[in-house]
Amino acid sequence: MDDQSGTAPVAAGTTPVVPGIGHAPAVWAAGLVRLRVNGEPRSGVAEPRTLLSDFLRHELGLTGTHVGCEQGACGSCAVLVDGELTLSCLALAVQADGCAVETVEGIAHGSRLHPLQQAFQLKHGLQCGFCTPGMLVAARALLAATPDPSEQQVREHLSGNVCRCTGYTGIVDAVLEAARALRESGEPGA
Amino acid sequence: MTAARYVGARVLRVEDPAFLMGRAHYLDDITPPGTLHAAFLRSPHAHARLVSIDTSRALMLEGVHAAVTGHDLRDEPPFTTTIPTRPECKTGTRRLLTIDKVRHVGEPVAVVVARNRYIAEDALDLIHVEYELLAAVMDPEAALAPDAPLIHEELGDNDFATIRFSAGDPDAVFARAPHTFAKRFHFGRTHAAPLEGRGVIGDWDAVSGRVTVWTSTQMPHLVRGLLAGQFGLPENRLRVICPAVGGGFGLKVTLFVEEAIIPLLSRQLARPVKWVEDRYEALAASGHSKEVVMEVEVATAADGRFLALRGSYIGDGGAYLAHPWTSLIDPLCAASFLPSFYDVQDVSYIVRTPFTNKCPAVAYRGVGWTSGQVAREALIDDVARELGIDPVEIRLRNAIPDGEPYLTATGASYDGGSFSESMRRAAELVGYDQLRVRQAALRREGRYLGIGVSPFVEQGGWAARIAAVNGFPGFAYLDSVGVTMEPDGTVTVASGFQANGQGHETTLAQVVADELSVPFESIRVVQGDTDAVPYATGSYGSRTAVVGGGAAMRAAGDVRTKLLRLGAHLLEASPDDVELADGHIRVKGSPAQAVTVKQAAAAAYFGPRPDDLDPALSATRSYDPPETYSNACIVAVVEVDAQTGKVVVERLLAVEDCGTIVNPLVVDGQVSGALAQAVGAVLYEGLPYDTDGQFRAGSLADFLYPQATEVPAIEVSHLETPSPVTEGGFKGMGEGGLIGGPAAIVNAIADALAPFGARIERTPLRPCDVLELIERGGERDRAS
Ligand code: FES
Ligand code: FES
Repeated sequence: MDDQSGTAPVAAGTTPVVPGIGHAPAVWAAGLVRLRVNGEPRSGVAEPRTLLSDFLRHELGLTGTHVGCEQGACGSCAVLVDGELTLSCLALAVQADGCAVETVEGIAHGSRLHPLQQAFQLKHGLQCGFCTPGMLVAARALLAATPDPSEQQVREHLSGNVCRCTGYTGIVDAVLEAARALRESGEPGA
Repeated sequence: MTAARYVGARVLRVEDPAFLMGRAHYLDDITPPGTLHAAFLRSPHAHARLVSIDTSRALMLEGVHAAVTGHDLRDEPPFTTTIPTRPECKTGTRRLLTIDKVRHVGEPVAVVVARNRYIAEDALDLIHVEYELLAAVMDPEAALAPDAPLIHEELGDNDFATIRFSAGDPDAVFARAPHTFAKRFHFGRTHAAPLEGRGVIGDWDAVSGRVTVWTSTQMPHLVRGLLAGQFGLPENRLRVICPAVGGGFGLKVTLFVEEAIIPLLSRQLARPVKWVEDRYEALAASGHSKEVVMEVEVATAADGRFLALRGSYIGDGGAYLAHPWTSLIDPLCAASFLPSFYDVQDVSYIVRTPFTNKCPAVAYRGVGWTSGQVAREALIDDVARELGIDPVEIRLRNAIPDGEPYLTATGASYDGGSFSESMRRAAELVGYDQLRVRQAALRREGRYLGIGVSPFVEQGGWAARIAAVNGFPGFAYLDSVGVTMEPDGTVTVASGFQANGQGHETTLAQVVADELSVPFESIRVVQGDTDAVPYATGSYGSRTAVVGGGAAMRAAGDVRTKLLRLGAHLLEASPDDVELADGHIRVKGSPAQAVTVKQAAAAAYFGPRPDDLDPALSATRSYDPPETYSNACIVAVVEVDAQTGKVVVERLLAVEDCGTIVNPLVVDGQVSGALAQAVGAVLYEGLPYDTDGQFRAGSLADFLYPQATEVPAIEVSHLETPSPVTEGGFKGMGEGGLIGGPAAIVNAIADALAPFGARIERTPLRPCDVLELIERGGERDRAS
């Protein structure tokens, strides 16, 4: 969606036929997007302009990925696309066609929390929970690359993720705690 | 009650797993079948007459179901807002959608409903609006000038209310005091900015006559009542569902016009209609907070003892009154806590609340206590510097005595606290004396370390009495909790204290588990649906532990009394001879004679039970507590780079005393989160308007949230002085970090910049502002 939806409109021109009025031009035709999400093959309909965040949430029903700004500034929409940390509000659904996407819903093992999730609960790394999916996805990416991060590395890595509730203290503690637990258990971080 | 087992323990939150797995449902995760989507067209101008609006082209767009303007809603009653118990107040009205003119950038002027949000937003571009620009009133003091352009013509001027108060004879004390000091401080507007913005779904079912409104709020029952009045519906026809709330912080104790408009669109279209605000709308058009222009004065004895205080508080209310609290929530709360932590009985204040052409002012965690604290504490540091007294020492000299009840000049009855002790402890934990040594050493290297202290008293449990103390007299509050023991001995707690991150499903369960001597795991807290929970005004003003916890204790106490009778009956003993402990009802002195709580519960439903007992194992009780007050001291340590103006917050430390602590994990989290918001409010979160009224912070590139790299690891420690007057001894503490934190940070920066003679008189303090302070301080030195 246009992040300026609330702003004043550009006053409409005078020509009666503007894109989108009356009929949808062929270039706007919706198409099928096929991808793997959390290991499962999924598909859904997307217009060329459909954001990946909207596609995941409203087309595939994976509402764990949140939208806090649609401006690429809060990190709550973070997902992994082919292993790369990606802001799904800045990506189009069609760009993810054929890709492997991982979302917060894929982190737990069934109903058992992943050690990273356990650490968030243990260290009170969440309050309202709205930033949490993005934090978890970003933290996983960090721990996959850096299994033994320093506090400063954790803070810098998470600096693209806003939390309005916790003051970050619990989040940073949780990621450090998860790193320790994962190293000790020998589980891979990701 | 039985010995506490859960209250006071670091119980992990039961709500966490759903959030951690992405299974919690927030407003935008809910889409009833057939839902249409709304988008608002918003004013690009601060103040302009609406000449015409043409929606005809928007309506031609395929997928658009409606395009509605103020004219279409002209028969809907306006929001009518005032404090009827304060004769000083005018009555503000606001149409759901304006007809005559727009009064701030972001004000809605039309709304489109379409098959999806993308199409609705496309259609906004096709609406043509003609505006005739009017002079904008952007400065709160200028708004009060007799010739200022009027924002609401029908009110006659731009002042919602002028309120004066005086206790003792402060003017006489000022006239003869050895020293008097004054300070002006303009606390800049900031934003609660919960990460989840506002959102509403309306489903108006004309067939059943039921209206369901999903909204992201802190006060489901108040929304229900206000909307029922708005729509002329019986209150029991309206159902407000509040799903998981992604943060509220006071912003969501406002009823917004969008919450009324969306259900009306559903009525018109006979389909559910949903609107979720985007970040621009959140920043420009939800609510701003805390902008107060203050002048505070203190008269002191030669030894620095405070003799009298005077304050002037001009709260920039923006274009419309927050419904239902009004724009008094910042300046009047600031003024009411002018003495706060200090033993001063000669106090006067004046409060004014101008309308301006800015986004309406709404509550944000700490309301005006935040800005009032900043002005007073900054003044006290000035006094300390002038008189050559250490800032900790001067505060200790003036603190209210620890432990005893105390009546403040503004009428607050403190129920005893650890005022000086919290301050001494904070100084000790931060290593105050060593920091002063380090500060001196660093200064010799041209590095500027600063230390700021900020002790305060925090109202806990906003309800009738505390509201009156803060200048909102004459209202009763009904806040209730239901407790039901099910046939198998598990317990359902129904709470209208809508959580928005505070963990009530855990903390209320802790309280009830102890009261009924049942395992914490056997309790489930239900919330978020006015059809499912008894009436409560909601979660705001640090009230849920005190008011909700107290109501839950009372309701559980009633259930417990019945359990004891049921147990006694099973044991063939007298109810006076049995006790409840460890999940059992036992004959006192003969512990082997016992039945389990579970057996007693089953007996209520299926027998055997006493003939004269109403067996319903369910109670709904309310609590309107006496006044209770937490206290705390915040210390901030900062380093200022005099070359770049960058401020690094090295440490933030809190020693807080909220009486009986329900869950230290949750309390630490509340303090830490509020202190991070304090960092944001002081250093990053400007909401600037230019002089024409254009809004300059419409994205998160302009409004900067503090991030993990800007907030230090926050240190929290506790003192525990249980309230002698509330149920359970709880005092409430959700806002404190944002009451005390900003003053600590401002004072730390002022302390760091003391060698430059810099005087801080406003926030935010971005690097450019800090550089200006250094420069201006230098100029003042050269001039003197
Ligand atoms: S929603 Fe994508 S970064 Fe905020
Ligand atoms: S837990 Fe609420 S935004 Fe992070």
